[in-house]
Amino acid sequence: MTPPPDLAARQRALVAALVAGGEVPAGFDAAAVRATTAALRRKRAGEVAARWPFLAASYGDAWVPTFAAWAASRPPNGSLRDGWDFALAAGDTLPGLAREELAAREAEYAYDGESAPVPRRRGLLSRLRRR
Amino acid sequence: MTTSAFGVGIGWRPEIAGYVAGLPGLRFTEVVAESLHTHAPLPDGLAELVGRGVRVIPHGVKLSLGGAEPIRDERAAHLHRCAELLGAPLVSEHIAFVRAGDLEAGHLLPVPRTREALDAIVANVRRAQAALGGVQLALEPIAALFDWPDPELTEGEFLTEILDRTGCALLLDIANVYANARNRGEPPAALLDELPLERIAYVHVAGGVQQGGYYHDTHTDPTPPEVLALVKELCARTVPPALMLERDGDYPPAATLTAELDAIAAAAGWPAIT
Repeated sequence: MTPPPDLAARQRALVAALVAGGEVPAGFDAAAVRATTAALRRKRAGEVAARWPFLAASYGDAWVPTFAAWAASRPPNGSLRDGWDFALAAGDTLPGLAREELAAREAEYAYDGESAPVPRRRGLLSRLRRR
Repeated sequence: MTTSAFGVGIGWRPEIAGYVAGLPGLRFTEVVAESLHTHAPLPDGLAELVGRGVRVIPHGVKLSLGGAEPIRDERAAHLHRCAELLGAPLVSEHIAFVRAGDLEAGHLLPVPRTREALDAIVANVRRAQAALGGVQLALEPIAALFDWPDPELTEGEFLTEILDRTGCALLLDIANVYANARNRGEPPAALLDELPLERIAYVHVAGGVQQGGYYHDTHTDPTPPEVLALVKELCARTVPPALMLERDGDYPPAATLTAELDAIAAAAGWPAIT
């Protein structure tokens, strides 16, 4: 008989079900876990909209469902990266206002698509100026 | 009537900084610790409040005290630096986990009510306390739409044992108490009978919405009358040091926030701060 998975493994399985498209682990109320997944995607869409107002606004009422569908199997990376990745994935379909916002972000940060965006000017003066 | 130490407050957020600064009776607020840069000066509005003698508590959301893995000491050290910067005797965090291995949930998730999870939380809280250098830690139970299967302890037993073993204060979120009870189909005041109310550091109040068969504790909707009724019920049993409204988005006009703060004060039987 194999021992039950330890707490770390059980927690990871639950997070995977919530944000990475994994199966709901045995014993959980599957409907409640799925409702949480949907709520998390709505909340994430709101957080990205706060960080990327023109991106979100350019989709109008379709923003939350569009973003939520895109985010379904992508774990959150923070609103800056989430919005950036969404915009890049939209490619040629990205609306004009969102395109301008993306260009402004690209001028401000260097982003390789894999790790946290790095401000292009790191001097103390520029940090103070941004505040 | 025994008087509350700090009265009614509202969470400081950049979007409503002007409104919060303009509240004449404000003596208590909270700032999300992860939003502060401790190498830089405080945001103007926050520095002004500290200067006025308003108590500002750093509130962490990403420490993951309930995670099976040890917390990262630099996250706890950040909370400590925030407390120093704000002159706060207390910081707060959640009884929850927010990541597992390489996966970030981006949200506060419930922990199983088992001995194994309890030991992991106590170990993490002690690790955080060591990094906090004497600054007190208050722990907040969260709201969730689901529970883990096969609990070994009731919610009251689980929370009380964590507080007993760590010496932490309780940050009681009365809206979380309401949300969990409503979604479980239990009477909302029942948990109040099981918790050490004398250990409350302060209380969160927040709004939510019924959607898709569940009550969601959104912090972006008005505080419902049922939550205000629970505020009243709580204040009939104890006098918490502060009652603080948490609003985290979809900010309404100032008059609406004022009405909400006044309603919280009225439910508690305390003076309005607006």
